[in-house]
Amino acid sequence: MDIKSIPKTIIIVPAYNEEDSIATTLTSLMEIKNKTEKLEVCVVNDGSTDSTEEIIKEFDIVQLKLPQNLGIGGAVQTGYKYAYNHGYEIAIQFDADGQHNTKDLFELMEPIIEGEEDMVIGSRFLQKTEYKGSITRRIGIYYFYFVLKVLTKKNFTDPTSGYRAINRKVIALFAQNYPKDYPEPEVLMHLNRKKMRIKEVTANMHARQGGASSITPWKSIYYFGKVTLSILMQSIVKE
Amino acid sequence: MNITLFSFLIICFFFTIVIESVRRGILETRDSLIWIFVCVILGILSLSRKLLEIIADLLGIAYAPSLLFLFGLLSTIIMIFDLTRRISKLNRKVIHLTQEFALLKEQQQDNTSSENMIKREKKV
Repeated sequence: MDIKSIPKTIIIVPAYNEEDSIATTLTSLMEIKNKTEKLEVCVVNDGSTDSTEEIIKEFDIVQLKLPQNLGIGGAVQTGYKYAYNHGYEIAIQFDADGQHNTKDLFELMEPIIEGEEDMVIGSRFLQKTEYKGSITRRIGIYYFYFVLKVLTKKNFTDPTSGYRAINRKVIALFAQNYPKDYPEPEVLMHLNRKKMRIKEVTANMHARQGGASSITPWKSIYYFGKVTLSILMQSIVKE
Repeated sequence: MNITLFSFLIICFFFTIVIESVRRGILETRDSLIWIFVCVILGILSLSRKLLEIIADLLGIAYAPSLLFLFGLLSTIIMIFDLTRRISKLNRKVIHLTQEFALLKEQQQDNTSSENMIKREKKV
């Protein structure tokens, strides 16, 4: 695929205190951005208290600076609102911590450009990749895979992956309504109800380059309860 | 002083605080309605032992004063639930405002930087 022929695309990078890794991530994204004018990078600075803001300023990209911390859901949604207001055709969510690989970017975009899918997810488990997560993390991911399988009858091998590309239709939906914390599995349920076409493609992910995971042991209890409840709620709420 | 009078005085005192808060604009009239309602009911019930006993009898409560507890507990639960709902609503509003703020600020910076560019071009 010719990189110059892509539709107006935005890469949304949510960042909260990512001073260790954001520079590397942005450098690799800039390499792609410099090849085409159609692509924009937008970092949503979720009220970082370290030097993340200054590092972002050194790059020629859009920075949306939230005056206070909203959490991943609220931060990413800000990016989707920006994408919606500025008429982007494709939005890609990309982690600031260096987990995601820009090589997979076009794999994610292609089905959307072709108009085959509404959302494409970069999955670590579709085929065997180099990814090695801790055993607890894998159990967690499998648990959500199982819950979603029961409720939607579909296979989402990596329901917690934050590496996602969506089209204009879904951008509009997300700008309107996006879950607040730990949004990834919940969103799948929501889009499935809306009869959106979702596909997974294989993505290689690195272990995080810096910063701490947002999920600590105590929080993971809350995480499981909250996400399970909201997935179940999604399956019974009225539209 | 017996307990009936004592509790009635406390309720009167509380009632005055509620009314005074509304008058000074600390508490919104809308929010004060439920408090005033609770005060009036508790006031009436605590003064009239007979009324309390009649209602307790109707509900099949053996020890009449426990009706006061029931009433107090129920209204507290309702109020706390109402508060949680309001917090959720406020939370949504704060998130929305924060996002709009960030988007507008970006737009404003974008405008000033393009204005500066035009000025520079004019100078050249």
